[in-house]
Amino acid sequence: MNLIVKIGTAVFPNPVTVASGTFGHAEEFYGQEEVKRLGALVPKTVTLQAQQGNPPTRICETPAGMINAIGIENPGIDRFIDEKLPKLKATGVPLIVSISAHSEDDFALMVEKLNAAGGLSAVELNLSCPNLQKKVLVAQSAEATFAVVRRVKEVSKYPVIAKLSPNVTDIAAIALAAEEAGADGISMVNTFMAMAIDIRKRCSRIGNFTGGLSGPAIRPIAVRMVCETAAKVKIPIIGMGGITNADDALEFLIAGASMVAVGTYNFVDPRAPLAVLDGIKAYMKANKMTDIRELIGSIRR
Amino acid sequence: MKKIQDRYKVVGVNKVNDVYFRLVLDAPALAREVKPGQFIHIKVSDGLEPLFRRPFSVFRAKAGKVEVFFEPVGKGSKLLAAKEKGDILDVLGPLGRPFTLPSKSVKQVVFIGGGIGVAPFLLFSDILLKHKAEKVLLYGGRSRAHTFSMAGFKANGVKTFVATDDGSVGVKGRVSELFDKIDIAPTTFIYACGPRPMMATVAAFAREKNLSGEASMEEVMACGLGACLGCSISTTKGYQTVCHDGPVFGLEALVF
Repeated sequence: MNLIVKIGTAVFPNPVTVASGTFGHAEEFYGQEEVKRLGALVPKTVTLQAQQGNPPTRICETPAGMINAIGIENPGIDRFIDEKLPKLKATGVPLIVSISAHSEDDFALMVEKLNAAGGLSAVELNLSCPNLQKKVLVAQSAEATFAVVRRVKEVSKYPVIAKLSPNVTDIAAIALAAEEAGADGISMVNTFMAMAIDIRKRCSRIGNFTGGLSGPAIRPIAVRMVCETAAKVKIPIIGMGGITNADDALEFLIAGASMVAVGTYNFVDPRAPLAVLDGIKAYMKANKMTDIRELIGSIRR
Repeated sequence: MKKIQDRYKVVGVNKVNDVYFRLVLDAPALAREVKPGQFIHIKVSDGLEPLFRRPFSVFRAKAGKVEVFFEPVGKGSKLLAAKEKGDILDVLGPLGRPFTLPSKSVKQVVFIGGGIGVAPFLLFSDILLKHKAEKVLLYGGRSRAHTFSMAGFKANGVKTFVATDDGSVGVKGRVSELFDKIDIAPTTFIYACGPRPMMATVAAFAREKNLSGEASMEEVMACGLGACLGCSISTTKGYQTVCHDGPVFGLEALVF
């Protein structure tokens, strides 16, 4: 059974990975052999300077989902490269490092540092974090998306993946802009801007006032967006949004995603990605498929 | 520290009083590993409602059984209260940083428990049986309904004192009414667990009297593994996660 997927020049042994920001400290929980089964590891988004993140309360549970406003708490790119990257490399699993920045030049500077550090499979540009007090996200503008991807492609020695926001009218148009700028892949979707209110205190249940909705509640919207985008772009898509098990992941693959990422559900069952992989294999076997490419985009219209 | 994900059989769920419940799991591996102040993360539903696991401080771990003590106030804990003997629960744990054991020079160990926050201290007193220090429990509850038998503590040689908001049992008022039982000395060590305002009071008292101690903190939690960074609280070292950096923090490190 061939499960290998490629994004640009990057090769992944199987299509199952994790969404950025959902898998920290997994090395303490997973056995080494378990980690090796993942198709790729995606650590939490890193920024140029360290960020302390948003004040509590940072998360709240919602029907079949959660709202979060963590605020990309991270040690900054230099400490990430010195302290975290060696451990991640030691797993032997292909690494997709997620980065976010406030300007095209900062994105380029971070990529140059990652070029020098070596050992990555790809860089993911988080163009869509909704918690940074900015009114417009890069991923809400086709022009801005084009400009950032173009600038990063000029310097990156790694394939470049653009992570898109679902908080747009036409996500496929943004994906096309990323593709035209040279992106090697699309990662979709990030969280949906949302809020929940404590009616007793009449205040937001999130310290940051609003946050991003994720989890099974968003899955049907994410599947629709992946399906629409896959019909328009030629580059591979990493699909995510509320995947809890293999059946959920199969929806994304059939819709046209080449890889799938488990996100919020890692917080419930940190072994979910492994169950997803096993279930995909079982489905392929039952349907007499020998190559993952037979599955990707196999939606009947 | 070993982190285990496994499925355990429910031995029983029973009411401790009108408010609190006790869940007993047949979980020998957990019982062996767990240390006072650590928690277990229980998947209370097989479906997506509620989505997240619920963290519970371990109340006792003896003879292969693990007990948690809880008040069914929300969706998750209400589902847990409805579990029956023989049900199987998916549990992650033990998780989090436990309380530090008191050094030999400690002459008085003071447990301060507010409501359900008393949970870790029975297990702790089991472990401290051979420690020569005087052991004191200061328990604060809302009313008689929130009090329970102190027999387990007394059997472990712990002197127990109770305060209730309405004075229906023990001293009337907050648990701080019992602070006169604390020896103001460098050989005293405080362990506190309870609601945030109580923790602020304990931390302020410790600072004023120059006492050392630790507090087990609570916050809304998702993963329990330090992955989501959702349960961070303010500390003197910046934001730290309750689930992974804590739940136990030095009293001096807490920022209120």
